[in-house]
Amino acid sequence: MKEWIVRLAGEIAPSGSEGRIASVLLDAVQDLADETHMDALGNAIATKHGDGPHVMIAAHMDEPGVMVIDIDDNGYLRVIPTGGLTASETAFRQVTFTNGTIGLVCLEDGEKRPEQFDQLYIDIGAKHRQEAESRAFIGLSGVIGGSVTEVGNGRLLGRALDNRVGCAIALQAFRDLAQRGLHVSVVFTAQNAPGARAAQAAAFALEPDLAIVVDATPASDVPGGKRTALQLGAGPAFKVMDAGTVAPLAVKQLVEDTAHALGITLQYEVWPSGRSDTGAIQLTRAGILAAGISYPVHTAGAAEAMVDLADVEATLRLLVASVQAYRK
Amino acid sequence: MLLKTLSEAFGPTGFEDEVRNVIRGELEGRVDEMKTDVLGNLIAVKGAAKPGPKVMLDAHMDEVGLMVVQICDGGADAGLLKFRSLGGIDPRVLVSKPVFIGPDRIPGVIGAKPVHLQAPEERQKPIPMEKLYIDIGAKDAADAKSVVKPGDAAVFATRYAEFGERAAKGKSFDDRVGCALLVEAMRHEVPYPLYGAFTVQEEIGLRGARAAAYQIQPDIAIALEGTVCFDVVGAPSHGQSTVLGKGPALTVQDAQTIADRRFAEFMWETAQRHGIPVQWRRVKGGSNDFGAIHRIGKGVVGGSISVPVRYIHAPTQVVSLDDVENAQRLLQAVLKEIAEGSFTL
Repeated sequence: MKEWIVRLAGEIAPSGSEGRIASVLLDAVQDLADETHMDALGNAIATKHGDGPHVMIAAHMDEPGVMVIDIDDNGYLRVIPTGGLTASETAFRQVTFTNGTIGLVCLEDGEKRPEQFDQLYIDIGAKHRQEAESRAFIGLSGVIGGSVTEVGNGRLLGRALDNRVGCAIALQAFRDLAQRGLHVSVVFTAQNAPGARAAQAAAFALEPDLAIVVDATPASDVPGGKRTALQLGAGPAFKVMDAGTVAPLAVKQLVEDTAHALGITLQYEVWPSGRSDTGAIQLTRAGILAAGISYPVHTAGAAEAMVDLADVEATLRLLVASVQAYRK
Repeated sequence: MLLKTLSEAFGPTGFEDEVRNVIRGELEGRVDEMKTDVLGNLIAVKGAAKPGPKVMLDAHMDEVGLMVVQICDGGADAGLLKFRSLGGIDPRVLVSKPVFIGPDRIPGVIGAKPVHLQAPEERQKPIPMEKLYIDIGAKDAADAKSVVKPGDAAVFATRYAEFGERAAKGKSFDDRVGCALLVEAMRHEVPYPLYGAFTVQEEIGLRGARAAAYQIQPDIAIALEGTVCFDVVGAPSHGQSTVLGKGPALTVQDAQTIADRRFAEFMWETAQRHGIPVQWRRVKGGSNDFGAIHRIGKGVVGGSISVPVRYIHAPTQVVSLDDVENAQRLLQAVLKEIAEGSFTL
């Protein structure tokens, strides 16, 4: 599991530029899937036909990033955010673009602190426009943050752990369930960070009986933590509500019963400002039974996050067993 | 001239009838079928039974405007109209502008306290919309109420005119310029099913386009827009969005869409092949109907072609007629290359 997480987090996939990681993920299920494809919005979809109700497992593969909108005569770049990055968390950090170009995000001279992206510029070491244009173009996307490191206590820290951890869990869950002969699809969704824009298209196409979304949720056991009861390392969380969904009680019961049977301590996610793929899927077509199983992280939706591998393992076990226990 | 007629038509968000009638008249006999849906979108169809990708072109008919919310009853303000905006309008552009209320075009002027009477601190900041009113010259409340009701909408009373070097000024180029491009495109023949959606209520959240795309279920969609352009005083290159006269603009990312890079590059390269000037739209703020369209059904491939509009959402907007012409050329070239199979789904 850890190997998969590290490998997937090594991929650079800002929202809208998920093509490469989509190929990696579909290659990893090709041997078991009956059908795989990428759809018009960039979702990577694999289906294994089998027994019982059709369950869709979803995890977004994109991460927040920046996109080049200007190259000046001196070879400096200007960017806009893709997803929820703020100017202040982007400033003074390295940016790695999808084409391998690396640069430093700098603040315009005289500005005290970065509040808006138009105060920032990116230095890629180019001496003039022509050189910069050979390494960057308008519309090129990049990401902020460092590679994944194990920091002790079975905890990982690094860029894109939200939600490559979810991708690794969904990938393993699909493999496990497909091998058991169940009717299951996995969707690695695109464009979640700018506001859950693509997941509904996959749900529209698949029309599953049940969809379960795996994503990160912010743990509150931190200084100034918001009023939820989520702790890192205390196990998976059932998404009771976020900004886009309130969970169907039947699925909550299913997951609670499954957690109890497995002896897994279940936490409860109540995240009024979070926007996950769950809500987008739930409101597709005439309504789709959809819920979220989340793993706690320190800093969700930011460039970097910390996760606990024990939570990851428990989330995977809970997900697989919940799908197995589901009856239409 | 069609752009002049469309620009001067009355069509604030939710009141698109007059614009729709102009377009319907222009396309009568030139398309196989036209229908107005329940929200008011006008959908023109050509070659529905033809093979090949179903292509949807979109332009929104509505413009930003004002809505009367109250007719003041007593005191010094009797007969003056309080209003709110329909769509995003900077209150700083409103003071002392002439408007027309309703399709009967009741003339009015947006009034405000003159500079002589303003306290020093009032002069330091823009007059908020709540302190502005529309004066229709009524002698009292009863007089005003005989011609205007709360809920009536108003538009800027701007006439279209050409000026300078290939420039035009007028109201509502956002998005009557797109409507004009789309009317022209629907007059041409293509070997695949072509749907022209003239949509409603874009300015308050891309509301009409969603329903239009849902009923069309296109394979490819292109929104035709008038978009923000600030290539003037003190704007650095990264703060311009687009430059007037440098050709139609293609979106890389806006508030509702991250461009389908493959389709954006297809359009860019089509422009290069046909010798048509083209530029990227370089700002995150703002959006267009493609933001709603691409999320419909199983997802829709496509993008947008935008004409730069200076002073967008203001009473008098400015476009380059060269940009309009080049946007038309680019649209025709893209439609032709789709027919030739240059873009594969």
